[in-house]
Amino acid sequence: MAVKIDSEACGHIENCPVQGLCVKICEQGALIEENGDVTIVPEKCDDCDLCIQNCPNQAISKA
Amino acid sequence: MFNIEREGGEHRVLSYKDQNCVGCGICSEVCPTDSLRLGPTVPIARGLIEMDLVSVNAKSCAFCGLCSSACPFNALDLTIDNVSIKELDIYPKWDVESTVNDDDCIYCGRCREVCPQDSIIFKRELPDRSALVRGEIDIDDEKCIYCSFCADLCPAEAITVKCIPTASNETVNNAIEVDLSKCVFCGVCKRVCPENAIREICSTCMYVDDIEVPEVTGETFIVENTCVACSWCSEICPKDAITITKPFEGTLELNEVEEDEKICKGESCHACQDVCPCNAVEIVDGKASTNLDFCNLCGACVPACPQHIRVVSRTDMKLGNVNSRSWSEILDSLMEGK
Repeated sequence: MAVKIDSEACGHIENCPVQGLCVKICEQGALIEENGDVTIVPEKCDDCDLCIQNCPNQAISKA
Repeated sequence: MFNIEREGGEHRVLSYKDQNCVGCGICSEVCPTDSLRLGPTVPIARGLIEMDLVSVNAKSCAFCGLCSSACPFNALDLTIDNVSIKELDIYPKWDVESTVNDDDCIYCGRCREVCPQDSIIFKRELPDRSALVRGEIDIDDEKCIYCSFCADLCPAEAITVKCIPTASNETVNNAIEVDLSKCVFCGVCKRVCPENAIREICSTCMYVDDIEVPEVTGETFIVENTCVACSWCSEICPKDAITITKPFEGTLELNEVEEDEKICKGESCHACQDVCPCNAVEIVDGKASTNLDFCNLCGACVPACPQHIRVVSRTDMKLGNVNSRSWSEILDSLMEGK
């Protein structure tokens, strides 16, 4: 089911208060940094929702 | 860490020590002015963000001290004219203890090994090994060829062999020594020696009734300020020498709802395990399993769980001497399930 990112709310790593906390907290490798932005790898997502819960911009939600 | 203060008829200071905080959020739950905020506990526990677990809004804080009284872990302290309210008769007090009974402790040190907070200070003096054995050992320098078989095999590492020839004299610096404070007269050296250079006699068995075993002395002490009352030490103590009173009684359960996909993600998430100050959570067969023997029901794992399926239900709270009705109502709210 994975997650989706609201690109308007997302800080796109550069403007994220934690420089990509979602990428750091996801241990499945389902959120990766690519060209300075966050990319979702849906097949790796385990729906643990840690990224949703911890995004400082509340930019991530269930897909 | 923060220190905020208010000058008035009294001088009130609220101080917060992050090193004692477990991130349970009880302070923010009881704050009547909503001035305390629990930070992102999971990223902090994983070292992804460096910040205090709790922050305060100094402008809205009423300096009432409810957080200081409710904190079971000595992370918050309100002082009035430099006296902690924990010392004042009219304020609530936790009726808990974390103590080691010196008479029962044998100084095995297992408590220190399992303490998840490094809150146990432990030291001991073992008797000299030589006091527990009897025997004789002698190495004949004339026969020794400095092969080091004995030194390499000595289980007590009691034998030192030096073999440093010089260009003019190949034996000048050779030496072999036995450290009698380490040797237990086991005889391995004698048996492996190719030159029959070692004479060793063990008489420990012969004198066993005469050998007086000196007492192991030491000190085991729980630092109550940083102890989180998980009970690992008292559960593991083979002599039942430790008394730990937990701040709460009750249960903690996983309330999974399959149809809403509110299920524990186990190894993928392990947020509860990361924030647990008690080392009470383990992922077993893909699910978080909490051992209530070691859980202090602080509830730090509850907001940490992204599935919101952890429910702590407290049935008793060891905070006594609550004299204010409004405080009592707020504190009682901690006893409801959350």
